[in-house]
Amino acid sequence: MPRTPRLAAYALAIAVIAIFPLIAPNPFFVHVGQTFAYTAIAVIGLNILLGLSGQMSLGHGGFYAVGAYVSAILATTYGWPLTLSMGVALAACLLAGLLVGAVALRTRGLYLAMATLAFGFIVEIVAQRWVSVTGGTMGVMGVPQIDFGNFRMGPTYFFWVAAGILLLVQVGSDYVFGSAIGRRLNAIKESESFAATVGLNVPLWRIGVFAASAALAGLAGVLFAHQSGFVSSDAFNIRLTISLLIATVIGGLGRSAGPLLGTAILIGIAEAIAAVHDIGLMLYGGILLVVLLVFPEGAIGLFGRRRATAAVAPEAAPAFHPAIAGRGRAGGRLDVESVTKSYAGVVALREATLSVEPGTVHALIGPNGAGKSTFINVVAGLYAPTSGHIRIGGVDVTDLPAHRRARLGLVRTFQNLQLIQGVSVLENVMLGMERRRGLAADVLAFLGGAGHEARERAEAASILAFLGIGQLADMKPKDLSYGHRKLVELARAIAQKPAILLLDEPVAGVNPQEAREVARIVAKLRDAGISVLLVEHNMEFVMGLADRVTVLDFGNPIASGTPAEVQKDPKVIRAYLGAVGDAA
Amino acid sequence: MTLLNFFQLLVSGIAMGAIYTLTAKGLFITHLATHRLNFGQGDFLMVGAFASIGMLTAGVPAPLAVLGVLVLMGVLGYLLERFAIRPLDRLGDRAGAYSWVLTTAGAALILQNIVELGFGKSAQYAPPLFSKTRDNVISILGVGIFFEEAAIIITAFIVVGAFYWFLFGSRWGKAVYAVAFNPEAASLFGIDVRGVVVLVFVLAALMAGISGVLVGPLVSVHPHMGLIFTIKALAVAAVGGFTNPVGILLGGLLFGVAEAFSNYWDSAFGDLYPLLFVMALLAVRPSGLFGERRADVR
Repeated sequence: MPRTPRLAAYALAIAVIAIFPLIAPNPFFVHVGQTFAYTAIAVIGLNILLGLSGQMSLGHGGFYAVGAYVSAILATTYGWPLTLSMGVALAACLLAGLLVGAVALRTRGLYLAMATLAFGFIVEIVAQRWVSVTGGTMGVMGVPQIDFGNFRMGPTYFFWVAAGILLLVQVGSDYVFGSAIGRRLNAIKESESFAATVGLNVPLWRIGVFAASAALAGLAGVLFAHQSGFVSSDAFNIRLTISLLIATVIGGLGRSAGPLLGTAILIGIAEAIAAVHDIGLMLYGGILLVVLLVFPEGAIGLFGRRRATAAVAPEAAPAFHPAIAGRGRAGGRLDVESVTKSYAGVVALREATLSVEPGTVHALIGPNGAGKSTFINVVAGLYAPTSGHIRIGGVDVTDLPAHRRARLGLVRTFQNLQLIQGVSVLENVMLGMERRRGLAADVLAFLGGAGHEARERAEAASILAFLGIGQLADMKPKDLSYGHRKLVELARAIAQKPAILLLDEPVAGVNPQEAREVARIVAKLRDAGISVLLVEHNMEFVMGLADRVTVLDFGNPIASGTPAEVQKDPKVIRAYLGAVGDAA
Repeated sequence: MTLLNFFQLLVSGIAMGAIYTLTAKGLFITHLATHRLNFGQGDFLMVGAFASIGMLTAGVPAPLAVLGVLVLMGVLGYLLERFAIRPLDRLGDRAGAYSWVLTTAGAALILQNIVELGFGKSAQYAPPLFSKTRDNVISILGVGIFFEEAAIIITAFIVVGAFYWFLFGSRWGKAVYAVAFNPEAASLFGIDVRGVVVLVFVLAALMAGISGVLVGPLVSVHPHMGLIFTIKALAVAAVGGFTNPVGILLGGLLFGVAEAFSNYWDSAFGDLYPLLFVMALLAVRPSGLFGERRADVR
């Protein structure tokens, strides 16, 4: 944690912004300062989109153009006051962002790259050809400038407005990067299954961040229009988008300070290229290649890697009591009623029925291919069942998506671990926690400095300590052993305060000592009132822990009862060992 | 619209559609094998068109010129894979998820600039490939169509046929599918995964090059034409869901024909409507008209 509060840094920025136009040697510097300010706003939006949420846009020049045209036309042709025209322009960009984002909502990044590329192209063509409105290449002239009626001081006022907005946007970006929002965007980028599991509405987040990023590009375009006083279609070709992307990657993707550095470098390059205009494209292309292939961390990477956020030392963490893990409505009841799931005609699960009683451990076992994974994915909401019903505490959740079920207290772990590599172990655990404060309160706490999220960190550290892995808090998941990663997933699940916990092979690939440790933890969770549905192959683990056991074979439930009953059941023995007379 | 008009538009649409299909096939096969593709595919097409114009106007006989374009495009495809794609693998985690979009787009900018320096910025027409003059009209069932267009359609279909043979009938095609399914398993079976990756990028460049040669006589050619073709080829591949090669063929033809008719109907913005339609389609059916939806299973 920085010792100097962020507020001091921001106060310094305000002072610099206030003084700069007054001490600038000539108007050219003020002009460059203006351009820097609004360009950086667009780049910040792209950085959050690309760096944090992992979505690609090749059409931000289009949003920039929409912002510029809407505000310029409303203010010039229709004579609207600037505040109104700028507000409507921003709304238009937000709307355009929602529409374009929707195209790629349910698909992967390639489609978004394609849709945005097409969007930028369409905007450019419309600007060129819809001459009656946009003026085509002749453009809209005499766009009012932001000068508050004072022609001589106009550029200074404009600089203050643009830089002031930039500062606000930068504060917002710093907050996004340093708070739960950034963590969640990272999670969505890496694993949608994980994000849904911790209760995030993935499509909503994706489209939201896309629209916000589009609006920031639009804001930059609005400011551009009222700086230059002239808007023509020549300003908005693919090269504008490429320039913004270059600033984003050259500054350093995924770091909050990157866009400021990147924009400064971009403006430097643009000035330098003006002299060698013939090979400008080649230089832009070459810069993109070199930066991405040789300095993928960008310029900001030269100043060292991202500081690890300091965690609470394990000893300082308060002791964790599993009893507080419950939500006060401990012991959710889970009913799975004759659920069938078939994939293109192959039945993976047939008429599976099972009830997990509140505060018990119910194990689901069966040979490989028995349908256990399908079962757990259907219950968690990642797959829709072909028929049947799933109820949590008596409420039918069959039609609810995974993230809604998670918010009802249905929490799972994954057989193939789902941990977010981009953040620390501690933050992986924190991803499981719900937001404790309102947005405004959280922003204030963030601005205040060191105390931000201290309680969440302490609680996550105490959960890790409870699992005996407190010392791993600051590490990245990929640096951990397999067994430890399994424990981190369990810690994340506990942080979600489950009513019902689905454990998908919690001890597969884990050594016997660790397995006993996991058994001890699961028993404690049950004693705290959490219901557990356990899928596992390790019979010693299952039989020692489970209150009831259901056996699946080829998608059919073949037995159910206490561990002792199930072990004696001839059908179960046949399923596992084969029987005399069965052809091999 | 007269019936005659209708048929002429149909033939023009099929000719452009066949070219979109060819270009999109290149995107399809690299996406299949590597989940990456060349965002400068249209610029590769542009290079093919200019290379063919350059050689034809210099008096190189057409077959030799085509051969020259193919060699050039093969080399470009190899260079693209070698310098814009492969280095990303070495970076591993340090490379962003969609860095390949930007590296291939960066390579495209360089190509645009080189062609601009060599041929100037103004638009040009390629001399006709298959006939002496541009307006050589033949009559089929009483309908006059441009011979050039008919020949382009036939050539494009022959190339598409060869592509299908390669994909479904040859050992290399099986290797491509094996790498698409699981590169590690493919390498355990003795498939040269790196070789397959190079092969698909070379093939994609060849498809773009052939498209460029064919498109030259149909539309005006200029150094910044590539973007439009990249966008349309992506749209066509998306209609086929990026997974269904037959869907891409149908999607390409539909797109070309729709474009021809919408241009006739609205000469100002006609070329935008098919594109807008594809975008809307993707919002409703993300896997395209012919693709299968696959769940994210982990």
